[in-house]
Amino acid sequence: MSAIEDMTASVDAIRGHLEDHRYICSSQIATAVYLAYQLRKPVLIEGPPGVGKTELAKTTADMFELPLIRLQCYEGLDEAKAIYEWKYGKQLLYTQVLKETLDEVLQGARGFAESVTRLHEFGDIFFSEEFMEPRPLLKALQEEDGCVLLIDEVDKSDHEFESLLLEILSDFQVSIPEIGTVKATREPPMVFLTSNNTREISDALKRRCLHLYIPFPDVELEQRIIHARVPEIPPELRRQLVAFIQELRDLDLKKVPAISETIDWARTLVLLHAENLDPDLVRETLNVVLKFQEDIENVQGEVAALTSKVVKH
Amino acid sequence: MDRTLANFIRALRNSEVRISTAETLDAFNAVELVGYRDRAFLKRSLSLVLPKTVDEKETFDACFDQFFSFEEVRASEQADSTSGQADESGADGQGEGQGGTGGDRGEATPAGSEERQRKGKRKSRNALYEEEEEPDLGPGEMSAPTSALGTLLMQDSKVELSMAMSTAGEAVDVREIQVFTQKGLYTRRIMDQMGLVELNREIAGAREDPAVPVRRLGQELRRRRDWLRGQVRDYVERQFLLHADASGKRLREELLRKVKLSNVEHRSFRLIQEIVYKMAKRLATMHSRRKKVFKKGQLNVPRTLRHNMAYDGAIFDLRWKSVKIDRPKVFAICDVSGSVANYARFMLMFLYSLEEVMPKVRSFAFSSDLAEVTDLFDRNAIEDAIAKTLRDYGGGSTDYGQAFEDFKRSCLDDVDNRTTIIILGDARNNYGDPRAEILKEMYDRAKRVIWLNPESRNAWTVGDAEMRRYSAYCHQVEECNSLMHLERVVGNLLKTVQ
Repeated sequence: MSAIEDMTASVDAIRGHLEDHRYICSSQIATAVYLAYQLRKPVLIEGPPGVGKTELAKTTADMFELPLIRLQCYEGLDEAKAIYEWKYGKQLLYTQVLKETLDEVLQGARGFAESVTRLHEFGDIFFSEEFMEPRPLLKALQEEDGCVLLIDEVDKSDHEFESLLLEILSDFQVSIPEIGTVKATREPPMVFLTSNNTREISDALKRRCLHLYIPFPDVELEQRIIHARVPEIPPELRRQLVAFIQELRDLDLKKVPAISETIDWARTLVLLHAENLDPDLVRETLNVVLKFQEDIENVQGEVAALTSKVVKH
Repeated sequence: MDRTLANFIRALRNSEVRISTAETLDAFNAVELVGYRDRAFLKRSLSLVLPKTVDEKETFDACFDQFFSFEEVRASEQADSTSGQADESGADGQGEGQGGTGGDRGEATPAGSEERQRKGKRKSRNALYEEEEEPDLGPGEMSAPTSALGTLLMQDSKVELSMAMSTAGEAVDVREIQVFTQKGLYTRRIMDQMGLVELNREIAGAREDPAVPVRRLGQELRRRRDWLRGQVRDYVERQFLLHADASGKRLREELLRKVKLSNVEHRSFRLIQEIVYKMAKRLATMHSRRKKVFKKGQLNVPRTLRHNMAYDGAIFDLRWKSVKIDRPKVFAICDVSGSVANYARFMLMFLYSLEEVMPKVRSFAFSSDLAEVTDLFDRNAIEDAIAKTLRDYGGGSTDYGQAFEDFKRSCLDDVDNRTTIIILGDARNNYGDPRAEILKEMYDRAKRVIWLNPESRNAWTVGDAEMRRYSAYCHQVEECNSLMHLERVVGNLLKTVQ
């Protein structure tokens, strides 16, 4: 544990360690991790797709060398898939076994009342942890040395599921009606929730979380990200590429390119042994960056102007 | 220091960032951890804890800068004065001691008082110099001040001063400041509260005094008083910006909610739109989609097994997977002729702002002929669609009979028992045939027919109004001419249709 405490000693330390794991971040993001650890609070991460929301959780897990437990949300997700489920097959078998041993248990019992007493004395494990199949949320609570719990795209789940999350987010515990309350072990999990803002998350949930918004990075940060992720790219090309992407983000596009697209593009250009951006090269590889035909067509016309603007700098 | 945070949160709330008590506690914890020393760090930390949407984060940034810029100035001045005090401390201590004994002090602290003199000048550079009737006596010995405020001023301790200022501010409820013009008033009140009267008396007294040290003190005190006035004015201004700005807006919103929609001035439309959107959003979250579990569809095996455990594993009570999101259908029929057009505008705005909860709104506009305008709303932004509707269909003379007939012909067949029909109009039919029998047909088929009439109830039967006849075939008739009415009606609508 002391290793983790060292890492979380200050925001700069966290930032440095994240960078060691090739996650380049703003100090805002590092602060979020710092506070999340120090205050033991879940972090709700919002932002456009592809800015590294999920990646942050993964990297944090790597950094702390903790297991990452991931719960992908979708419409219709319920407690049986998120918290726990009974092993029905085994439970059915158990009832069969029980039926056969019933005679032994009740042997010599006189009258109904005594039979029932005997039955009660007989250990009932029908609803017990033996027959329980833990799902991600419960698993995260049961991890001995703590873990990183990633609840991905929470906005895709239903309102009901959000309410289910409230207990675990505020108290790190879940209540199972048949058994009781399961509390987190010594070390509560670090919880990250991500959302793409397809719908508004309820206030109740937001209240329990730190709220981190990750915007698109600025030029300098994006250059450093590309440097970390695609180190083999020549510096001049890297500068041009990032500048070009930043220009694209100012255009009115259906889907603006995110960091993941910038990285993909950088890798593509490295494969093509490019040294500089030129309009033809851009036109040919535009489909790596833009994901809608409509966008590609819109940008095609401006490629020459954009490229010369970027290269000239 | 905790008070600072509490005040900051208050200012944030005033700027419409919603902060719950739980979040306040989190903020206190965060501040405990982070401390006040590193502003940027503090800002980053609090921005994780307090604002919870992107919009709120923007507001937070502005608010933080505004709030803590002042604090920062104060802090730097503190640092400044403490460094100043370090070499002055001896002089100060001595000065006070001697002030107590009332003895002469000339030789003991010439350097100290000179330095203070200089400081006083520097500080008052920005403040308005009053006409100095007497020549500046220059540096030299001074007697000790007698009034409380004078002593405070001469002590040169900015911490004490700003604390006194805050205390006085609290005492005169400077947070209650509402309008810009009250600034002078509050500045005066705070100065008075801090003991201005006494100080003025001392200054006036000092001018008449024959002794040079006392006169010198009087001049110095006056300089410092003017400087203090500037400080207090700044303080009041900041309080005004932090506390009054939003409440002024809230006041206007409050008024706009109640005002008759036909009286709303054109320049308030934007604000109204904001309010409408806000109301709609609140209703939308209140009535977020509810689901019905249906007795058909895919078998939910785990759940079925679990429920049938009690029956010895014999499966006879089946559970189903499929859930259906129940969405009401709403038909809005709006009279857009001259007199009612404004109401129609807001009604449509409201309904379409509720898209999240009521995606199936079909709307119709008429003055004499009725036409469906749903497509118009699908293709255009709400405001544009409304403007186009009003342009294309407004302006004719009202003919409800014709409108109902058109409705019957074009889409009465689509009306079913899940449909709610909202009619907005004043039912003034220009003495034409009201065709109430068509409304009866609609009434028979639909789940609900709601008539919203912008006129007040007692005008409903006067003149060419046909309300009495129509209301027989409505489940509900409501007077509706302000945003408040509209909110209530739509709220009820959501409750009943779901």
